[in-house]
Amino acid sequence: MKAGRLHWVVGAVVAAGAVCVFFPFFWMAMTSFKTVPEIQRVPLQIFPDRWGNLDNYREVFQRQPFARFLLNSALIATVSALSSVVVSSLAGYGFAKFRFPGHAVCFFAIVGILMVPFQSVVVPLYLWVNRLGLVDTYAGILAPDLVSVFGVFLMRQSIEVVPTDYIDAARIDGASELGIFWRVVLPSVRPALATLVIVKFMWTWNELFWPLVVVNSPTMKVVTLGLVSFTNMYFIEYNLVTAAAVLSIAPVLAVFLVCQKWIVRAVVLSGLRG
Amino acid sequence: MARQRRAGFFFVLPALAYFGLVFLVPLVESVIGSFYRTVPGGESRFVGLRLYAKVLSDPTFWQAVANTVSLLVMSVPTTVVLALAVALGLHRLASLRWRSAWTAMYFLPFSVSLVAAALIWQWMYDPIYGFLNHLLGQVGLPTQKWLQSLEQVRPSLALVNVWVRLGFDTIIFLAALQAIPTEYYEAASIDGAGPARALRHVTLPLLNPQIVMVTMLELIFNFKVFDTVYATTQGGPAGASQTVIMLLYDTAFKYFRLGDASVMAVFVFVSLLLVTLLQWRLFRRQVEY
Repeated sequence: MKAGRLHWVVGAVVAAGAVCVFFPFFWMAMTSFKTVPEIQRVPLQIFPDRWGNLDNYREVFQRQPFARFLLNSALIATVSALSSVVVSSLAGYGFAKFRFPGHAVCFFAIVGILMVPFQSVVVPLYLWVNRLGLVDTYAGILAPDLVSVFGVFLMRQSIEVVPTDYIDAARIDGASELGIFWRVVLPSVRPALATLVIVKFMWTWNELFWPLVVVNSPTMKVVTLGLVSFTNMYFIEYNLVTAAAVLSIAPVLAVFLVCQKWIVRAVVLSGLRG
Repeated sequence: MARQRRAGFFFVLPALAYFGLVFLVPLVESVIGSFYRTVPGGESRFVGLRLYAKVLSDPTFWQAVANTVSLLVMSVPTTVVLALAVALGLHRLASLRWRSAWTAMYFLPFSVSLVAAALIWQWMYDPIYGFLNHLLGQVGLPTQKWLQSLEQVRPSLALVNVWVRLGFDTIIFLAALQAIPTEYYEAASIDGAGPARALRHVTLPLLNPQIVMVTMLELIFNFKVFDTVYATTQGGPAGASQTVIMLLYDTAFKYFRLGDASVMAVFVFVSLLLVTLLQWRLFRRQVEY
C-alpha cells in the first residue's frame, strides 16, 4: 500500500517535471500565432485568438531571406553528415580491424583532439579560410565540420564487433580491401551509419560559433544566424522571433522525433564510452 | 600481410589528415600566435610573453573567468543532480510507454539549437510580457528583471543551460540504471536494506563512472558556453554575463586583437586539459574504460 503510493508520487513528480521542461516549447508555439497586441494583452492569455494566424510566419519570410537560410543550413548539414559518415567509417574500419605501425599513436592523437576546444583553434582556422578565399562560401562554412571525432569513435566501436571471419573469408575469395569495406563491413553497421548521419546533421544544423565567424553576407547565413538577426533590433518582436524559432526547430524536431531511437543510441554510446 | 597493413593505414589516412589540418596545425598556430603582436596592417612582431602579461593582468579577462566559473558552479551540479533524480524516477515507472514518453519530453531541448533555446527563454524571461513574471504576479510575488539584472543574469542563463542539458544526462544515467542487474537489489533486500540504503549502497556506487563522466562533460560544455550568451545578453548588463569564450570572440572578431585572442585560446585549452588530467588522476580507479 505504502509502496504503491510512493509509486504514484514518483510518477507525478516525473510527469510534472517533464511538463515543465516541455512548457517553453508550447509557449513558443502559442506566441508564434499571436499578434503584437495579443502578446501585450493584460491579463496574459495562453491561447491565440486565431489558431490559423500565420501572419508572423509570412512576415519572417518577408523580412529576411529565411527560406534561403533554411536551404543553406540543410545543404551544409547534409554535406557534413555525409562526408562525416564516409571518412569516419573508413577510419573506424582501419582502427578496428587493422594493426599497422603507429596504430596506437594515431588513435590517441585523434582521442586527444576531443580535448581541444574548437574555440582554441578558431583564430588560425579563420586566417586559413581567409587566405584561401573561402570566407562567406559554403566550403568555408563546412571546413571544420566535415568530420567529427565522435564519428570515428562510433564507427570504430561498431565495426569492432563485426566478425573478422567474414572479412577474412571475403579476402580469401579475392575481394579487394575497398570491396570488403563496401560489401562486407558497411552493410553490417547500418544502424551506426544511420545514427552518425542523424546526429551529425543535427549538430551542424544547430551550430552558431563558426558560421558567425565566416559568414558576412545575408544570403550565406545559416538558420541559427538568421534567428539571431531577428534580435538585433532595439525592440525585439517576439511574435516574429518565436515564429522564426519554430521554423528553425521544426526540421530537426521532425528528424529527432522520427529517429529518436538512433539519437538515444548515440548518446548512450558516447556516455558509456567514458 | 603487408598489403593489409598498408590498407589499414590508408583507411585512417583521410581522417588523420583532416584532423591534423583542422585541429593540430591551428592549435600549434594558436600557441605561436600568442607570442606575436599583430599591428593593424598585418605586420606581426615577436613580443615574447608580453601578451600573456597583458591579458592575464586585465581585470576584464578575470571578470570573464569569474563569470564563467560562477555559471559553471550554478549549472553543473544542478544538471547532474536533477538528471540523476529524473533518471531514478523514470526508472521506477512501471509503464514502459509512459517512461519513454516522459523521457522524450526531457530530451527534447537537446535537439534544438542553443540559439533557439536561448531566445525561447529570453521570451519567458521578458520583464514586461514574459511568462515567468506573469506566474510570479499570479502568486503575488514581485516581478523580476531576470536577464536584465546584474544579480539574476547568471542564474537565469545557468537555468537555460540546465534545461538544454538535463535530458542528455538523464539518458546516460537511465541507460546505466537499466544495466544494473536486478539480482543486486534482490540481494540487498534479502539483507534487509530498504530503498534508501539500496540507493546509497548499490545504485550510486554502480553509477559512479557515469556520474564522473557526466560531470566532466557538463564542465566542458558549460566552460565553453557562448551561443546562449551571444543570442541574449551579449555579455551584458555591464559585463555581468561576459564569459571567456564571449570575450575571446569579441577580442578576435570585433576588435581584431588576434594576439590577445590567441592567449585566451591557449588559456581555454590549458584549463580544459588540466580539468581532464585532474579527472584522470582522481578517478582512474573508479572509472572503467
